[in-house]
Amino acid sequence: MNLLLAPFRGLVDFFQALARIHRIVPWLVAYVFLLPLPEILSATGNDYYIYLTNRILIFILLSVGLNIVKGFCGQVTVGHIGLYAIGAVTSSLLAINYGWPFWAAMPAAVVVTGLAGIIIGLPSVRLEGAYLALATLGLGESVRIMIAVTPALGSSTGIMLIPPPQVGSFVFDDFQKYYYLVMTAAMIGIYLSFSILRSATGRAFMAIREDVIAASVHGINVPANKLLAFVISALYAGAAGALFAHMPPGFIHHNNFTIIEMVTLLLMVVMGGIGHIWGGVIGAIIVYIIYDNTLEFYHIQPLTFGLIMVLLVVFMPQGIGGVIDRYLVTKRFVKLREEKSDGAA
Amino acid sequence: MALLETRRLSKSFGGLRAIHDLDIDVEAGTIHGLIGPNGSGKSTFFNLVSGVYPPDPGSSITFAGTDVTKSPPHAIAKLGMARTFQLLRLFSEMTVLQNVMVGYHTHVPYSLLGTLVNSPRTRRIDARITEEMSELLEIIGLAEYADMPAAELSGGQRRLLALGRAMATRPKLLMLDEPAAGLSPVNVDNLLSIVMALKDRYGLTLLIVEHILKVVMDTCDRVTVLDHGEKIGEGSPTEVKDDPAVVEAYLGQEMDDEEVRQAMQA
Amino acid sequence: MTTTTKGITALLAAGLVTGLAATALAGEIRIGVTMRMVSENGQKYGQMVVDEFDMINKAGGINGHTLDVTLLNDECKSDKGVANANKLIFQEKIHLLVGSTCSSVSLPIVDVTAKTKVPQIIPHSTNEKITQKGSAWVFRVPVSGRYYAGVNAKYVGENIGKKIAYLCAADAASQNDCEAMQAQMKSQFGAEAAYVAQVQEKEVDFRTHMQKIKSAGVDGIMIAALAETMARALVQSYEAGIPASVNRIGSSSASNSPVPAIAGDAAKGVFFTAAYAAADDRPIARLFNEMVRQRYGIHAPDHDFSQAYDLVRIVEIALGNADLKLDSANLAADRTAIRDAIANVKGYQGLASGPISFCAEATPQCRDGNRTAVLIAYTKGGKDYVTEVLARVTMPVDFGLK
Repeated sequence: MNLLLAPFRGLVDFFQALARIHRIVPWLVAYVFLLPLPEILSATGNDYYIYLTNRILIFILLSVGLNIVKGFCGQVTVGHIGLYAIGAVTSSLLAINYGWPFWAAMPAAVVVTGLAGIIIGLPSVRLEGAYLALATLGLGESVRIMIAVTPALGSSTGIMLIPPPQVGSFVFDDFQKYYYLVMTAAMIGIYLSFSILRSATGRAFMAIREDVIAASVHGINVPANKLLAFVISALYAGAAGALFAHMPPGFIHHNNFTIIEMVTLLLMVVMGGIGHIWGGVIGAIIVYIIYDNTLEFYHIQPLTFGLIMVLLVVFMPQGIGGVIDRYLVTKRFVKLREEKSDGAA
Repeated sequence: MALLETRRLSKSFGGLRAIHDLDIDVEAGTIHGLIGPNGSGKSTFFNLVSGVYPPDPGSSITFAGTDVTKSPPHAIAKLGMARTFQLLRLFSEMTVLQNVMVGYHTHVPYSLLGTLVNSPRTRRIDARITEEMSELLEIIGLAEYADMPAAELSGGQRRLLALGRAMATRPKLLMLDEPAAGLSPVNVDNLLSIVMALKDRYGLTLLIVEHILKVVMDTCDRVTVLDHGEKIGEGSPTEVKDDPAVVEAYLGQEMDDEEVRQAMQA
Repeated sequence: MTTTTKGITALLAAGLVTGLAATALAGEIRIGVTMRMVSENGQKYGQMVVDEFDMINKAGGINGHTLDVTLLNDECKSDKGVANANKLIFQEKIHLLVGSTCSSVSLPIVDVTAKTKVPQIIPHSTNEKITQKGSAWVFRVPVSGRYYAGVNAKYVGENIGKKIAYLCAADAASQNDCEAMQAQMKSQFGAEAAYVAQVQEKEVDFRTHMQKIKSAGVDGIMIAALAETMARALVQSYEAGIPASVNRIGSSSASNSPVPAIAGDAAKGVFFTAAYAAADDRPIARLFNEMVRQRYGIHAPDHDFSQAYDLVRIVEIALGNADLKLDSANLAADRTAIRDAIANVKGYQGLASGPISFCAEATPQCRDGNRTAVLIAYTKGGKDYVTEVLARVTMPVDFGLK
């Protein structure tokens, strides 16, 4: 394990050195590193990998957002895909019916989804655990059903010809151009997620996750902060939805937003490690790549994914992020403690 | 007017009367003890006063001149009431520093938006908070564990952290629920000296529930004795110690070895 | 911030892992198939496409070229279908795309193949908009929804009556069938719908609707839904006491074998339009029925089997006529050659209800290959169901276009 993580350590040190200049510097460097990815993928593989990367980046936005409400704040929600759907449909309709450019339609969709997040989050004020999961599941699924039965929302045929984003005459209409868009969005999403985690709000979320009563007697407005967590995660879902809808060929259908997608998303978060921001990112990448490379075994795919989820929950509840944490973070304290006891002796 | 006043405070769970018509005044600047045998309603009293349980109709709780009978816990905390828990209820996955920073939550003046863009103001405030909290950790002796997850601490350290977290809310009234439970005599003394240091430094009022009578007798200005949810005695530690009703309540009880041993220490 | 970099490295590593490209072999004709491989029958349709291509390979391939077929499951989900199409086109570098089953999946794939200039041939989707997008790269083997509705309405209006109730499920094909039928009844006979019920894609309880339909006293009920749903609705229509004298009209999926198998006696008398009748007494049809029975255990194949079979035959003809180089430099040229060869298929007589013809223009007239529908009725339900052909109608090429 140590050997495996050695190259990581070098990178970690490098980025930590950068962070000492300014908090944003490592992010800018990482961003520059990621800019030529489409060329690399295209040269080493083929253009499909760029498309795949775009899909993964959208799922990263979703899983990072879900991690805020589920990982930071400990609220079990299964309605996240419903919010994703709301973002996608809102942005599409604004673009198609009212001719809004993507740059106006997407923020509007994000706001609408944020408001919808309040509704999905309302049960959390009274319910916990499995009951909350059921309530949010119902709300998320009713979003899908509403889309399925309302012709104005696409109903059975779906919404087609959703225009791609455009700046002047530059149209984000191929994989590579769209990559810059979703990659930027995902980077901003991850960065903001760290900002939230580091803030008083983030600490309030975690305190609620750890112990609701202790949180409340230390001055945290529990219901308000739970709702805030739902709203923030809904903003992510709204952005992801809009980015998905406008991605060529610009087609969405209610069955893109079923419980199966929700389970896939949960698997990403669980595999990556609930509450670990990078966990959500790694989970999204791993799950998607595994999924993509096992497409031909479609007979056993859903069963296998379900099985992996169960095994993970039982044997690795902390996920990959938790394992990495144990090796990189906790080890330091074990050492610290050993030193202390040596000193005492 | 007392800092904390309860009038006709009652709470029933189903048919069980946990607290009945309790009137208690905690005067500002004092150390007030609350004792009583197991199941006498001490913890319920804490939960009622801090807003964790809603009291039965007809009850009244006034804190710092404000009626808080129906207030949620976070609003009461904002008025300057802090408490610890018998079972600590630490945020165990969070670091030691984060634990005390949660305690400071009501005093963080920056907005979420400020955090997101990492404004200079936010950074200044962050730096100040971290400094203040480090100072607090210094007092309770956990400064070098600041970045360690709370779950990794030893038992005694965890008790100190719970105390520090409560202190971080900058309370007027600090309510300690069996702060010394499970500590060795040396650690009890250590804890008491820290509590006293904090009291003097921040001008606290203390309300202490404690099984270990020694703690109560040595430190408290005034003691209230509960039995079956009712007040059966009140006064200075010496007065209470000689009250026949109190002796009856304590000695008439079935006690396990540990409790007998602790009672004897007094 | 210690974890910052781990994710970024992982992101880069992801690229490298996927970078292990599958290198395609020269000299093979690569065909990608994306279909709804979920339900039992859905899997058999996809299997039939693959099996038939395999048979060609066993018989020596086409002009000495073997066919390399990749079959992916799109679960009838548009995002998966689009992902499959992109994977097949960019990674497998296919010459021809076959797919998909569901109209809602075929619709967005049409845009993908149009943009990447890859010929796409559709086995099952009937939604009329598919060929109305103006793509020069799409071909449809089945009968377009616009023709089906015309045939169905004509028969109903002339033989059954004009007071019709509709039960429409929310899937794309059924919605299309339902709306088109209502529009046709109106334009051909000026008949408004007597009652319309919109139901969920997998609804299980139709009793309320059936009671209302019963009291409306209609001449016929059109049940537009996917197979299992339709079967349930049929059974419940009898449970509600709607007499057999009220004709049950099925949407295109009424031809799928689960309908009579699940509905049992309630399937008797149900009629529908389709592109193939198992009751067809041509020798080719009898042989086909027997083959499907042996290979897939289906008592009498529905038109999704025949269309899968016809599609492979059409592809075989087109590939045989196309001049293919089959090296990586000529991928685009080969794709164009295959497109043009399919467009040149005229008057193909296979299992389908009528001849299938394509032409070069990117119009529905050229790309909706089959415009003949058969009207089929179940004369016996259950697993050993029996059908009869009521009529065979060929529609004018422009029918149903605005």
